[in-house]
Amino acid sequence: MTEKVLFLNQKFDRPATLEEYRENGGYGALALALEKYAPGQVCDLVAESGLRGRGGAGFPTGRKWLSFAGRKQGPRYVVPNTDEMEPGTFKDRVLVNCDPHLVLEGIILAAYAIQADQGIFFIRPSYEQDAQLIEGELNRAREAGYLGKNILGSDFSFDIEVHRSAGRYICGEASAQVRAIQGYRPNPRKMPGLHLTERGLWDQPTLVNNAETLACIPAIVSRGPQWFKKIARTPSGAGTKLFCVSGRVVRPGCYELPMGTPLREIIEQEAGGMLPGSEFKACLPGGASTRFLPKKQWEVPMDFESLKKIGHQLGTSSIIVFDHNTCLVAATINLLNFFVRESCGWCTPCRDGLPFMRHLLLEIEHGRGKEEYIPMLRSMAGQMRHAYCAFAPGAAEPVLGLLEYFEDEVREHLSRGKCPCRFSDAGGGFRRKQCLT
Amino acid sequence: MPYLIIDNRHIQVPRGTTVIDAAERLGIMIPRFCYLKVLGAVGACRMCAVMFEAGPVKGLQMSCMVQAADGMRVSTTHPEAVAFRRQIIEWLMINHPHDCPVCDEGGHCLLQDETISGGHSRRRYTGAKRTYPDQDLGPLVQHEMNRCIQCYRCVRFYQEYAGYRDLGVMGIASRIYYGRFSDGALESPFSGNLIDICPTGVYTDRPSRFLARRWDLQRADSICLHCSLGCNTVAGAHYRAVIRQESRENVRVNGSFICDRGRYGHAYANLAERPRQSRLDGEPAGWREAAREAAARLKRIAAAAGHSAIAVLGSARNSLETQIMLRYLSHHAQWRPPRFFVNGSEARSTAAVVARLDSRLAAGLPDLEEADFLLAVGVDPVNDAPMLALAMRQAARKGAKIVVLDPRPVELPFAFDLLSAGLGDLPAALAVLVKTAVSQAGTDGCEAQEKAFLAALPGRVPDEKLQGQLGQAGGWLAASRRPAIICGSAIAGPELAGLAADLALLLQTGKTPSRLFYLLPGPNAFGAGLLQRGSRYFPSLLQDIEKGGVRALLVVENDPFFRYPDQDRLHSALGKLELLMVLDYLPSRAARAAHIFLPGATVFEAGGSFINNCGLLQYAAPVHEGGIPLAQVSGGSHPPRAHAPAPGSEKCPSAYEALLFLANELAIRPPTMDASPWSLLPEDFPGQAELLAHPYPTDGLQLLPRLSEAESLQTPVNLPTSGPAAGALTVLRVEQTFGSEELSCYAEPLRQLAGPPLALLHGADADRAGVRDGEQLCFEIGGEKVELALQVTNRMAPGQLIIPHHYALGRAACRLPAVVAQAELRGLTGQDSPDLPQAITES
Amino acid sequence: MLPEEIRHRLETRIAASAHPRELVVDVMYELQNHYGFLNDVALREVAELLQLTPLEVEELATFYDFIYRRPVGRFVLHVCDGVVCWMFEEQSALDYICKLLGVAPGETTPDGQFTVLPTVCVGYCDHAPAMLINGKLYGPLTPEFIDRTLEELRSISCDLVLCR
Repeated sequence: MTEKVLFLNQKFDRPATLEEYRENGGYGALALALEKYAPGQVCDLVAESGLRGRGGAGFPTGRKWLSFAGRKQGPRYVVPNTDEMEPGTFKDRVLVNCDPHLVLEGIILAAYAIQADQGIFFIRPSYEQDAQLIEGELNRAREAGYLGKNILGSDFSFDIEVHRSAGRYICGEASAQVRAIQGYRPNPRKMPGLHLTERGLWDQPTLVNNAETLACIPAIVSRGPQWFKKIARTPSGAGTKLFCVSGRVVRPGCYELPMGTPLREIIEQEAGGMLPGSEFKACLPGGASTRFLPKKQWEVPMDFESLKKIGHQLGTSSIIVFDHNTCLVAATINLLNFFVRESCGWCTPCRDGLPFMRHLLLEIEHGRGKEEYIPMLRSMAGQMRHAYCAFAPGAAEPVLGLLEYFEDEVREHLSRGKCPCRFSDAGGGFRRKQCLT
Repeated sequence: MPYLIIDNRHIQVPRGTTVIDAAERLGIMIPRFCYLKVLGAVGACRMCAVMFEAGPVKGLQMSCMVQAADGMRVSTTHPEAVAFRRQIIEWLMINHPHDCPVCDEGGHCLLQDETISGGHSRRRYTGAKRTYPDQDLGPLVQHEMNRCIQCYRCVRFYQEYAGYRDLGVMGIASRIYYGRFSDGALESPFSGNLIDICPTGVYTDRPSRFLARRWDLQRADSICLHCSLGCNTVAGAHYRAVIRQESRENVRVNGSFICDRGRYGHAYANLAERPRQSRLDGEPAGWREAAREAAARLKRIAAAAGHSAIAVLGSARNSLETQIMLRYLSHHAQWRPPRFFVNGSEARSTAAVVARLDSRLAAGLPDLEEADFLLAVGVDPVNDAPMLALAMRQAARKGAKIVVLDPRPVELPFAFDLLSAGLGDLPAALAVLVKTAVSQAGTDGCEAQEKAFLAALPGRVPDEKLQGQLGQAGGWLAASRRPAIICGSAIAGPELAGLAADLALLLQTGKTPSRLFYLLPGPNAFGAGLLQRGSRYFPSLLQDIEKGGVRALLVVENDPFFRYPDQDRLHSALGKLELLMVLDYLPSRAARAAHIFLPGATVFEAGGSFINNCGLLQYAAPVHEGGIPLAQVSGGSHPPRAHAPAPGSEKCPSAYEALLFLANELAIRPPTMDASPWSLLPEDFPGQAELLAHPYPTDGLQLLPRLSEAESLQTPVNLPTSGPAAGALTVLRVEQTFGSEELSCYAEPLRQLAGPPLALLHGADADRAGVRDGEQLCFEIGGEKVELALQVTNRMAPGQLIIPHHYALGRAACRLPAVVAQAELRGLTGQDSPDLPQAITES
Repeated sequence: MLPEEIRHRLETRIAASAHPRELVVDVMYELQNHYGFLNDVALREVAELLQLTPLEVEELATFYDFIYRRPVGRFVLHVCDGVVCWMFEEQSALDYICKLLGVAPGETTPDGQFTVLPTVCVGYCDHAPAMLINGKLYGPLTPEFIDRTLEELRSISCDLVLCR
């Protein structure tokens, strides 16, 4: 039985209550930290644990927190990022619905560690039910003395409010999220040499962390960074990870497993393998902004470094599984549709380059492709890495994966003059294309 | 100072310089669309990518987003960088229409240039182009959104830099749209800069639309004459008409931008009714014939009544050369010394400024941008000198506290504190504010004289609320490090100018070394101020004309009727003259009344030097020969086919040349006929030696003395602290951005933006008088009606009736009373008995 | 016109906020829910409440996909077209719903009941294919499930507003 850090109190049909959370030691880490640890020590613990951000970029969490030392005084903010708009990703929804107070305790600990005054829980509109859940639990936490003035009798005060977003994928990008909260157009903003941890919300030091990242904190504080680090199955990993498995598997869902669990194991054991009649063709290992990963690589341990070594990214560790019947050109067009529509419109590669790439793929898919489109696509996808933020490079990843591992399939579109798939019954009453070959 | 290598060339640049700017210093223009030095770097277009081959930054990076650092080796021609930039161009061009042949930007389009130089010539994108509807953005700027490449320059200038909030970016992704919420004229008086900064043809100059390619324009560096700031422009003429002006960068004056009054105010030079024909006693005459006859009459008058029977009136819009010649001529002909101002208060204010401003005190617009506290007194920046507001906004963006002390409902594109004080209370209020600051900051550095001056300053104003505000603002001033006082001249008199200098000096002795910035009444008021020394003011001249002591008046580029309060008196006085000779390019009333009229040349034809409000002498080059625009000669046919010179179409001599001719006829000969005007300067004129060595310094010549010789810290006595008697309203005539200034008010596009003639009244006064916002005030003066839309606001000082000058108001508006009784207002709206106030004479 | 009760509540919140602009999305939502969509009147009221210009509100309103500048029905169906849902139905769920309701994507049924909007991944991939109706998640979609759900919604008389 693997250690649970995040799903310790999972009830499956409803969220764990405050009482249930406390029975299992909930808020003990907060009490411990307030009593025993200076804020800087909490940062050190997190740094020692090897925890890396769960939002996609995998930045070492402790390093981010430690950078607050010496930042200007005045209000500081923590922004738990629950925008979660990466296609295929639903772990934060499941997490919040499983154990809301675990997330809250993580936020409060983070706030204590960087001495923040205010937390702003950023939630996407399709999670409105979760926003309401959180607002209710915030009240309970406040009544219980975990939030507000002088938390648990200490001289640390902190409170959290919910910010409802009105949509758009780009709001998940930290600097865009900060602008969204302030009521400005959420274009990412970079200033040379200036990070959000120095000038974020209202020009004050601001910590933006993914909700899952923050939910790891209570365990790190209460059970120690070494314990946390050792849960992982690979030396380069740390802790557990929520893996969202979706697509053509028997049991799609969100599974907590040690960092470094092999991809095949997640798909075959946790998710129950492929649907009857489906064969694994490829998956996106970390959401829509990662490369198609072919079967020959599916033994890879799922952690940041192991995937990086073979040219992939962990991303949000949302495993989207495609079967042998899926046209990956069409799948890539679907993914690009998403990115084209959600581009904030700030920089040229993203705003104008992605529609160009989508156009080339559409031409290929509809049998009007030309040989020269393949090098064009490869070149444009490569140029995306010089875009303003990580959005366009992410959008280019599936295209790069398509060309790297499935160029034959693309060429088949060219040689046949049409997509080699045809529409058929997809099960569930809908029809879908199926590959002829 | 980082030391780096760009394209194998070494350069050292100040810390904080971006790589794109460092390259520009080497003459390497890295392609860019979104980057503009004044707006800062945002890295949106990704066009300025270069390869960082060695140093702290590696790989392909945007040169606008990286600051130069030691050890950097940068290649702008690296194949990867070139390929990436070419790719950016291709992406930008997928939606750009191929309408260059009908686009006014064609020929000076950055997108066109970069597309060619980037080598993008074959279209690979076969999809449809996205299209947009355009908006009507008003008479100045034409909108063509299909051409947009989404560089964000416009919205960043409009909102962030200039602070206006009606143009922005809407939508998302590849559908983003720059525009207004709905059709309508842009609210910013700086909107024309969108045309200059847009890298393609989304915003083009509307009045000159489809008139000419930029390469077909006769272009030259010019100076804006529509206020005293002396902003730099490039003027462009085509077919004998000045059709377009652009901003010209000058970091000592206007930086990169100009206001719309300056950009579009040039229509006076092309007017169909511009006088082009010399006249002798009302009859057309040859120019030389008229000038010779003038000389003959002047000789006769001098012989009969003495040389002092001849007087000269120049203006604050004369070039310095003209002013010098006027002074030289009147000096050598032993006429009366020249006057330059019809308004006595303007003359005395200018005299005070010229006497007091020195390089210790003087701040320029760039200094104001760096200030951390600005106190503007008697100034309504957007209406008086718009670019001043833009400079103040830059200070505000950097965190400066800004306080405006003025009777008007001043509005500015940034957060500031408006301290409403009646016109008469301004000096006392200013004194109270500064006294508070000096007292708080401590008087350690002050000597006895300064302490005595400080003690003599009033400590209170009667208005309790204002007193509180002054105290608070005084605290801000005391806490500031780089404060500046901005002092206007349009409504307040010379006392305020002198007091402002004294107070700035007082602050300089203490811990808050304040600088000083004056506005002056006219583009070369400073020159007039330097040259009017020893002359008395126009009102006394008028008396002498009436008494018969003056029999001839030579008026050069001035119209005494323009705003003179007692038009009838002026008319009858001028009617007594044996000779009224007028030289001007405006169709003025004085020009029509002249016995001898000589058509003048505008700055676009004659060029000339002008000294701005900060004492900076700048040269405007002639742009074209002038003459009647072909569009008028050929009756508007396109293309114009009638090219033959029409009457009056030959080049008008400049006022300087005309006066030189006159001097010659009067046997007053300069050393040589082609002598530099600077050789005619009076001995005591500042900067003479430099001017003789370098006649037309390209970036201006600062003429201010290091230390003013004027007596400073003259203890103020009896600073008035009360307005008019209870129940009376002081009528305040003020400028507005568009439609009031003497030259630009002829420009039709600006007239469209001027709005209707207004009268502004405080809410309390309106209540007492029983009048309401939106009602029409109608003065009937000498059979003429002056109709004003009443606007009631509480953002102004009570006790005033503020009436902006307006092109549409007739001559009668000059004769509006100086004081109106509150009780009369209701009658003026036509509701009660029409008990009209009498027009009163000059104050 | 905005009812006094809503205006008062918003004004109180705005007055209590250190950064009123932070509330702009909330205020847009509030007025949108009151008017059914963020019409020009509502947009100007948002601007007035927050001392913004209409343009500044429009800059935001046109950015976000959950702010509607055009009328929508009583129920807004956000049909997910994320890659996971696509894998199961390749747009045929959207096609089915549109055909069932007789509208094109983006349109509202003539009776003002339903608006169909294709939308990005709604985060319900473990129940794909999925959609969002007024902020509530529905899935996995089948033709029968869609028939049943829409039929149920038609009979609901009260407003079911989580987040349109």
